[in-house]
Amino acid sequence: MSLSLLPLPACEMAAVALRSLSVAGGRRFLLLCGRRQAARIQPLWYSARTLWVTSAVRSGDQKTPPPFPDVSHSDSAGEQSTSPPRYTDQGGEESEGYESEEQLQERILSAALTFVPEYGWSSEAIAEGAKSLDLSAAAAGMFENGGSELVLHFVALCNRNLTELLEQEHKLVQLGSAEKKPTAQFLRDAVEARLRMYIPYVGQWPQAMGILLLPHNIPSSLKLLTDMVDDIWHYANDQSTDVSWYTRRAVLAGIYNTTELVMMQDKSPDYEDTWTFLHSRISEAMTMGDSVKQVAATGEAVIQGLMGAAVTLKNLTGLNQRR
Amino acid sequence: MTAPVHSAGRWCLASWRSVRLGYQRLHQTQASGRETHFGFQTVSEEEKGERVYHVFESVAKNYDVMNDSMSLGIHRLWKDWLIRHMKPTPGTQLLDVAGGTGDVSFRFINYIRAQREKLYRDKLDSQETLSWSDISKSYSNKDQGSLMGSHAVICDINKEMLKVGKEKSLQLGYSEGLSWVAGDAEELPFADEKFDVYTIAFGIRNVTHIDKALEEAHRVLKPGGRFLCLEFSQVTNPLLARLYDLYSFQVIPVLGQVIAGDWKSYQYLVESIRRFPPQEEFKEMIEDAGFFKVTYHNLTSGVVSVHSGFKL
Repeated sequence: MSLSLLPLPACEMAAVALRSLSVAGGRRFLLLCGRRQAARIQPLWYSARTLWVTSAVRSGDQKTPPPFPDVSHSDSAGEQSTSPPRYTDQGGEESEGYESEEQLQERILSAALTFVPEYGWSSEAIAEGAKSLDLSAAAAGMFENGGSELVLHFVALCNRNLTELLEQEHKLVQLGSAEKKPTAQFLRDAVEARLRMYIPYVGQWPQAMGILLLPHNIPSSLKLLTDMVDDIWHYANDQSTDVSWYTRRAVLAGIYNTTELVMMQDKSPDYEDTWTFLHSRISEAMTMGDSVKQVAATGEAVIQGLMGAAVTLKNLTGLNQRR
Repeated sequence: MTAPVHSAGRWCLASWRSVRLGYQRLHQTQASGRETHFGFQTVSEEEKGERVYHVFESVAKNYDVMNDSMSLGIHRLWKDWLIRHMKPTPGTQLLDVAGGTGDVSFRFINYIRAQREKLYRDKLDSQETLSWSDISKSYSNKDQGSLMGSHAVICDINKEMLKVGKEKSLQLGYSEGLSWVAGDAEELPFADEKFDVYTIAFGIRNVTHIDKALEEAHRVLKPGGRFLCLEFSQVTNPLLARLYDLYSFQVIPVLGQVIAGDWKSYQYLVESIRRFPPQEEFKEMIEDAGFFKVTYHNLTSGVVSVHSGFKL
């Protein structure tokens, strides 16, 4: 929780830059550009997500799980080797044979995710992932702190998927084919969608949370957290350029992290308790925001009244006379 | 006894002073083609191979004792570090080139056994209530192979070293998972894409054509396989470098004479270390051979370094 407050000075610079851009409407443009490209090279993902978004929009609260492979049901090795890893960034045909070291590393990590339920967030899982790509298990040695890199890769992947999801939703709203959600509902759905991505790995997620909190991982994991929160607020149409920019992010990061913890303990069917918890935290935050606004408004009125009274007093006592 | 030690000591001082000169000469000889270096001497390529063979033939018996006394036992830590860095998983096929007395391979086998035990324990933890059939099955699995298919092939050009290594393996009770092959690092007697990991510990500087040895390493590795090289390198700390030079040229040949009765071989050892390319240069050579993601780690301030690369 307290960690979520830490990154704020760090994003200050970026915030200033973004704020100046958003004045010219450039911020959204920039983000859209980046994302559209990502979407184009992922045709498989794209269609799957479109389906999900539209169905989610239509059926309101009733959600189908996000398009993550259900690992618990795909244990057979044959199935894995035939179906291409679904997390891959590179589309295939044109990049085949010319993929860079980084792309291959991403591919190995993505393939390793299938083995996380069995081996945990470890270099063993990466080794198995490498094997499933017809590489030697020794390739896992490329990742010096294996487990950490695997977890960070997964979190980054989830973030990417969430932004694409939000982007889709945003487009639908712009095209007029979907109603714009009220902020509270939007935030709730976004956080829920994000947390649902952990469900296939829920047994191993406490381990991952521990790994993310290791001293050498804190900078990267905080960056991933703030990026995600930033993106959610961006699509929630947050235009604030004052101190509330920080408080909004801190509050959402806090809600996200506490809900994550609740989810780890949750035994209810389809994590009902978690979503109820999330719902109440978000409405609390919203009412808190409203009351802060009210207090501020009242405060301003009181101050104005006092100022008026002071001027009247001055006039009465004759101090205001200029001669 | 004292007289030869004394005179050789003086010769040694002179050669210590010519360390820098030696580096210059290295580049000259490389340009001239068919000649190469043997320590600080320039010899023909065929002669180098022969002379290296004789050196290791004569040191084979005392190789392990000398390693311990010269490095004060630290070479064990270096080799341990190498295996920890390798993190082999059960099923890994290792090629240990120039692995003569089997130090690296024995550690590899130990590591795999430990890994297997860990896997076994994890499995037991995850299924707390086992049925009797499960338990009996796990026992029969245990008997099947304690290494889960892992295998280490020790390849050394020197038959004497292999002989010492084999004796040692019998003494230490390593019965399975090891094979001993006599072969040249420049022309490995193995088919393509056979191994997961290729290691060469304190061997590559004795190879006449390092680039050829690297190409061979690349050839025999599976895609995704890893090249690991443990070798003496350049000390980064200048103060320590002075001490290290002093120790290598003044103490090591004397130790060689006293313990193994062989001055020349250890003189060669020290000189060949100085002739080996420094970390960055060697890294480039590995990259030139086609390896990716080449990195190196200095151990003991660069007295040795571990280079690692992947075949992708």
